[in-house]
Amino acid sequence: MSLLKHAQEHIANQARFTNLNAFVYLGDRALIEATAKAADINPPDETPLAARLSLAGRLIAIKDNICTTEFPTTASSAILKDFKSPYDATVVKQLRDAGAIITGKTNMDEFGMGSHSTHSIFGPVRLSRFPGEIMSAGGSSGGSAAAVASGQCWAALGTDTGGSVRLPAAYTNVVGFKPSYGLLSRWGVIDYANSLDTVGILARDVESVESVFDQLNVYDPQDPTSLPPTKRSQLGFSKKVNTRLTIGIPLDYNITTLDPAVRRAWVQSLHYLQDCGHLLKAVELSTTRHALSAYYILAPAEASSNLAKYDGVRYGKRADGIDGTPSSVLFAKTRGQFLGAEVRRRILLGAFTLSAQAIDNYFIQAQKVRRLVANDFNSVFAEPNPLTADPFDVRGVGVDVLLCPTAPSLTPQLAEAMAQGPLDTYMNDVFTVPASLAGLPAISVPASIAEEDQSPKLRELGIKETAGMQVIGQYGNDGLVLEVARQLLQAVYEKDMYHRSDPSVTAWGTNCADTPGLTKYTKYLKGSKVSYRNIMRLREEKAFPLPKVLKKVKVPGYGILDKYPTSAEKRLRKRYGSKAQELGLTVDEYVAKKAREKRAKVTEEQKVKIAGEKEEKGEDAYEVSEEKSEGQATVDAPHQEK
Amino acid sequence: MLALPKRSAFAAFSKRPYICSSCLHRARSLPLASGTHPISTPNRSLQTDAQTSPTENSDTTSFRKLLKDAAKKKKKESRESPLLPNQSQTDKDRRLEKWELTVGIEIHAELNTARKLFSRAATSIGEIPNTHVALFDTAFPGSQPQFQKETLIPALRAALALNCDIQEKSSFDRKHYFYQDQPSGYQITQYYEPFAKDGHITLYPHDFPAGVSPEDGPINIGIKQVQMEQDTAKTVHEPPSTHLIDFNRNSHPLIEVITLPQIHNPTIAAACVRKIQTILRTVNAVTAGMEMGGLRADVNVSVRERTAPSTEHGLSYYGVTGLGQRTEIKNLTSIKAVEEAVIAERDRQIELLESGGIVEGETRGWTLGSTTTKRLRGKEGEVDYRYMPDPDIAPVIIGEDVVNHLRDTLPRSSDDCINMLVDGQVYGLTSKDASTLLLLDDGDRLDYYFDVVEILKATFVDNAEVLPRLGKVAGNWVLMELGGLFKNDSWSETRVPSSQLSSIIAYLLRKEITGRTAKLLLARLFEGDITLVDEIIAREDLLRRPLSREEYTNMAQRLIEEKPDMVAAIVEKGQHQKVKWFVGQMMSRGAEGTVEPGPAEEVLRELLQMAPMEQK
Repeated sequence: MSLLKHAQEHIANQARFTNLNAFVYLGDRALIEATAKAADINPPDETPLAARLSLAGRLIAIKDNICTTEFPTTASSAILKDFKSPYDATVVKQLRDAGAIITGKTNMDEFGMGSHSTHSIFGPVRLSRFPGEIMSAGGSSGGSAAAVASGQCWAALGTDTGGSVRLPAAYTNVVGFKPSYGLLSRWGVIDYANSLDTVGILARDVESVESVFDQLNVYDPQDPTSLPPTKRSQLGFSKKVNTRLTIGIPLDYNITTLDPAVRRAWVQSLHYLQDCGHLLKAVELSTTRHALSAYYILAPAEASSNLAKYDGVRYGKRADGIDGTPSSVLFAKTRGQFLGAEVRRRILLGAFTLSAQAIDNYFIQAQKVRRLVANDFNSVFAEPNPLTADPFDVRGVGVDVLLCPTAPSLTPQLAEAMAQGPLDTYMNDVFTVPASLAGLPAISVPASIAEEDQSPKLRELGIKETAGMQVIGQYGNDGLVLEVARQLLQAVYEKDMYHRSDPSVTAWGTNCADTPGLTKYTKYLKGSKVSYRNIMRLREEKAFPLPKVLKKVKVPGYGILDKYPTSAEKRLRKRYGSKAQELGLTVDEYVAKKAREKRAKVTEEQKVKIAGEKEEKGEDAYEVSEEKSEGQATVDAPHQEK
Repeated sequence: MLALPKRSAFAAFSKRPYICSSCLHRARSLPLASGTHPISTPNRSLQTDAQTSPTENSDTTSFRKLLKDAAKKKKKESRESPLLPNQSQTDKDRRLEKWELTVGIEIHAELNTARKLFSRAATSIGEIPNTHVALFDTAFPGSQPQFQKETLIPALRAALALNCDIQEKSSFDRKHYFYQDQPSGYQITQYYEPFAKDGHITLYPHDFPAGVSPEDGPINIGIKQVQMEQDTAKTVHEPPSTHLIDFNRNSHPLIEVITLPQIHNPTIAAACVRKIQTILRTVNAVTAGMEMGGLRADVNVSVRERTAPSTEHGLSYYGVTGLGQRTEIKNLTSIKAVEEAVIAERDRQIELLESGGIVEGETRGWTLGSTTTKRLRGKEGEVDYRYMPDPDIAPVIIGEDVVNHLRDTLPRSSDDCINMLVDGQVYGLTSKDASTLLLLDDGDRLDYYFDVVEILKATFVDNAEVLPRLGKVAGNWVLMELGGLFKNDSWSETRVPSSQLSSIIAYLLRKEITGRTAKLLLARLFEGDITLVDEIIAREDLLRRPLSREEYTNMAQRLIEEKPDMVAAIVEKGQHQKVKWFVGQMMSRGAEGTVEPGPAEEVLRELLQMAPMEQK
């Protein structure tokens, strides 16, 4: 198929799938077609393989937090509404230089904060595989994933801070790759959490991802975190790709809340890899269980700092009228009005964990956990980490890559996802966050789920359900991670004969055309018994519960508490603390006692007075709830303060 | 002053109640220095031109005056105090005996670099607003810092001159606070790991005005650390309520020098600031004097009872224990302000403590000319800066070879310089003249002085009698005679080339011209005459022609006859000073280069039958 034909298909899909809300800005159709046509006429490469891997004339979508001069760059935030960056991000420039066509900007969670692409001024991304269905496309790169999945573009760039490329890839049945931190330039990528932010690539097959990755994997002097050329030359994998690899099964990812369908898909994927001749080995990554908590300390902390620049003074939107007071900053109103609820929540979280009173217990602890997570990974990989390890460090047995699910559940309903509280939403990132904290390359590939786990309705409609499987490798082993992902995807799709990158087919397999199948992968010998035994360890009853978050805080004057006292509790303590101490009671007991006394008095008065003047105060509200918790009858009567 | 062009440009907006979006738009459309295309600017030595900006507190040019004033004041005080014991003065003395002051100083100085700390935009002073700004300097989304390692060089020179240990590894942190001149919402500074630690400076008697140190012997003051950080943008107030922001200064590299709280006297505090300023300038690390915002100081002031046991209730700052509660006075922009603010704050705290109050840890402000510090914000209003290591900036690793090279090539320290100038064997200047020479015109005057002395030394290489006097004579001419001419003009070493001045001095030292002729010659050269001194003297016959005694007597006789009233005043009323008038008359009447004051007065005194001149 010619590039022009592909482009036209993509553009047709863009019109067909507007209900997905994947794109927020689209490029000019005529211009795109003209560029694709020109690429057809002047194929830059002669060989068929090179032509297939060339980006020339390909339609690539860009997540809206990556700066482009031709489209606005809003990061889906009201505060950057209509903001047009004066410069192109390095990755965008690299794509253009390779002849790729930037087809538009994709929807996302505001500043990348979210797991379902719902926190957006453009409205949520809706994954709709058949009329009437509204599923979550994952987040925060949900727009990019949905655009790729529905054939609206050939590939897309997203950003992955804690799984923002891999999670939507898993939910939308596409391939999502987060390279090693520092390989792809972040210049022009709007910061969420600098030490974790990575540009990621979404496409329908691993080869496409790889060709985009090869184009972008270049040192950029503009990005201070870009890996310098001297270090780049040291990266790579000493083993040849076509050899027997050791695949690690991280048992700690077998958590009790893991959807059984996903667990079965995981086991199936391991079987596939074993069939390819690889060895399977169970490994333990115990500290990764704390990775999620650490991530949700570190990322908001950096976010609270990075987002301080959005004040509407130099660019972006500004609240009408006078902002601020003579004694305060002049953008309180602007920030309050134009930053979304989730963003405000994370800014507040971050500001708290960095504050003088909390930094030791939160930020510093989380950094230590981060280091432990990285050490954990280093301890299981056969290759040493080229950034931290002694180059002469000889490793014993270890694994080459790890295989685990990308998300603990299958694609959730959007309504369900939106109804989740913030903490439950954060749980979606439990498997993606560890690799982010350690800066490791990780890719999510769609793996078909067992027949019995599939929804009969979807099967009837010819929609293929998948679970994302994540391949994680040692730092700099991006090539190996991509190779294992390719083998896995090929094994999964061996039976489903359609070309993964055909724009006339969605990622979930509808409108499947009769396209020639993929070349068969040469199989190795059968795997060992050890591998089977290791897979058996992934049974549901062996699952680990995630550690309960222990909420212990040290509060001056209170000692260690389960949670920080509310202002109402503080007021109570201030008022009754000393009296309660005299009686040898806790404040709660004292308050309850007082309430009982009052109630007795009030019931007396009630006989005379009509309960009509309801004027509850903070203390009263507290008392009422206290009584409720004690299971006593509440008396909803006003009482005067003495 | 810097705002003038902008002020007129934005005059139309000055009445707006808040920054309107059109202003913003205009600011947005201003050209930005792109990060990819470096602006090439020569490495400048950005210096203050004090003469063009005469301000009340211009510290460098008025130093001589300051010395004079201080000397005068001292004299006056010593005259007055025994006669009129001032009640409040003795009160104060009694208090100061009871209470000990402790001061720690933080000095911010703009580094003398070509580029900003984290972008390739050029640094600038007084340029058109918002013309030297890279994307990162205005915190554009997606822009990242690019540490300019060249900025380390002046910073390292400064730290070495302050005798600090250069840290092999240092790192940058973000200090968060909201203000419109802080575009990213945080300042990048070195909080956890500064690049230089544990230095010290030594104050010698010559570091004090009036040459009198409040303590005997040299005073050592520890430097806790030196750190690098970004400067903020500049806010220009447009009354009534518009604020315009110029990002040219934003991210200009600064160093912050933090002293230990080891200063117990306001004069020492001021001398300490001046000394650090001198050191930074001597090693060519900073841009300007305080008056241009190049140097700003914050002081921490506390008092404690001298008799109180030091362990009790004492607070500790930077390892110095047993101190009283301190307050911080922010943003002092001159040395005079440092001294006055410390005095005012010390007196306020003592007053407070003596009346039974307690000092609160708070931030205070000081405006020049006021008598007391003003509370800015208390502890409850304190900003939690939420210091966080900057995740984008890699730690700075400084190689030992760089440090050694910079240490070896460091210019001579000001103390060494002064010692050399004062040394009778070499230059023999007074310490007052030496320190003046060092401070003037960023050392240019000193270089000029060295040039003059070198030429003279070559001229008088065989003259053992004149040779030891050269330094002092040259100093006199460079500072007093030439300095006097430059009073209202900015210094330029080419106006009177050093060869010309040394030529004049040489004639004078050989007694071939009179002092008066020499001064007239110098004035002529200053006014733009480029003729060689030799030629002027030859052409206009200015050589000293000694008159005979008869010629002097005749001249004097004539004068005395012309002015009998003056003679009467001298002889009868004993107004002996008037004899000088006659000397002057004789000199102006005689041909140039003939009459000299010494012999003239001698003859006059003889004729008037006065006592002969006292021998000097």
